[in-house]
Amino acid sequence: MSLKDSLIQAIAEMQEEEAIRLTRAMVDGGASPMEVLDAARQAMDIVGQRYEKGIYFLPELMMAGEILSQMAEIVKPLLAQAPAARKHGRVLIGTVAGDIHDIGKNIVVFMLDVNGFEVMDLGVDVPPQKFVEAVKEFKPQVVGLSGFLTLAFDSMKETIKALEAAGLRDQVKVMIGGGSVDEHVRAYTGADAWGRDAMAAVNLARQWIGG
Amino acid sequence: MNRRLFVLACATVVEEMVPLMPEGAEYEVLDFGLHVNPEQLRQTLQQRIDALTAPYDAIILGYGLCSQAVIGIQARQSPLVIPRVDDCIAIFLGSRDAHREQHAQEPGTYYLTKGWIEVGDTPFTEYERMIQQYGQERADRLIRLMLAHYTRLALINTGQYELEKYREYTRRTAERFGLRYEEIPGSTALIRKMLYGPWTPEEFIVVPPGGIVRYEDFFPPSGDAGSPG
Repeated sequence: MSLKDSLIQAIAEMQEEEAIRLTRAMVDGGASPMEVLDAARQAMDIVGQRYEKGIYFLPELMMAGEILSQMAEIVKPLLAQAPAARKHGRVLIGTVAGDIHDIGKNIVVFMLDVNGFEVMDLGVDVPPQKFVEAVKEFKPQVVGLSGFLTLAFDSMKETIKALEAAGLRDQVKVMIGGGSVDEHVRAYTGADAWGRDAMAAVNLARQWIGG
Repeated sequence: MNRRLFVLACATVVEEMVPLMPEGAEYEVLDFGLHVNPEQLRQTLQQRIDALTAPYDAIILGYGLCSQAVIGIQARQSPLVIPRVDDCIAIFLGSRDAHREQHAQEPGTYYLTKGWIEVGDTPFTEYERMIQQYGQERADRLIRLMLAHYTRLALINTGQYELEKYREYTRRTAERFGLRYEEIPGSTALIRKMLYGPWTPEEFIVVPPGGIVRYEDFFPPSGDAGSPG
């Protein structure tokens, strides 16, 4: 088994120390940061599938997130040296008002970050007006609204309305995600797109901004 | 004359329904664990509904929107009745409005009831498994992340049973995980209406036989959720 395959397996099996050891080994062996991150992505796919099948639960998602952020610490200095370190574009993100869940959002922030986007994270329970202010200051091309509860759907809708009212809606693409968000919710909230997972968010940002 | 009712309810919700169940109503309880997988919950609900041979005057779901698990469900021979709420917390608190009010007050609230404590796998019960599997240090790290931004552990008192045991548990759990314990008043108002009516369009979705539960039933396109569809 290659180092990369072992790393994928270690992450998927929640072997924290082994995953960190293998990440270092890959980097020391001259692997590119993108290759390490690709291993992370593949492992997250496996973890996501196991979660959907009921083999893994929330703690496993958290554990995987923990392993990922430690891997990011190892890889990030190398990313900064890489020629493609230039940021592709800006993404503003936050969990909408009335929702305090951020496990999924944090994974999205992480994936956007390591894929070369400049991310501003407003945190949780973010009122629509705060998104409006941040769009004015940060001037993102993409706004990501996250929410886990079905109670968040109305907050997403209100946030997008607030962007419209401020005359900013045409300047940004809005993507939504989290919990049971789907095409129904996208249509209801007036978002431009929705995504099932962190990689979907990266792909949408790429599609809209390039990179 | 008694209506022929069939109640299909989640294990947590049924705890609150059983004491009020109309005479002659039939009911079936579904596993609480289904709620984490909406697709599986949807399939299970549909299978159980399909398995009912005789038509009923109503099949009442002891569920809310529940991560959209009820969207797409259909009963061929009987009307389907579903409270127009996000989840069971609104059922325990007595209305959708009461839920939204509590939630707006403190979004970082984890709600517990007798049913949740007895059958629920909550982050608090999960914690024990995490210690076994990942060790104390990691379990502590993970639970901190899982409960990040949660501030309050609220025990809903629906007044239907002796609460001391659950009060004790909730208080202890709150203390252990650094949350503020609070007991908040629940209500059986919505459960009574589920079982006895009236099923007003403001509070209920009533789908005629053969009809399908739609997203728009919960979120009318106009945005005024709760208005007659």
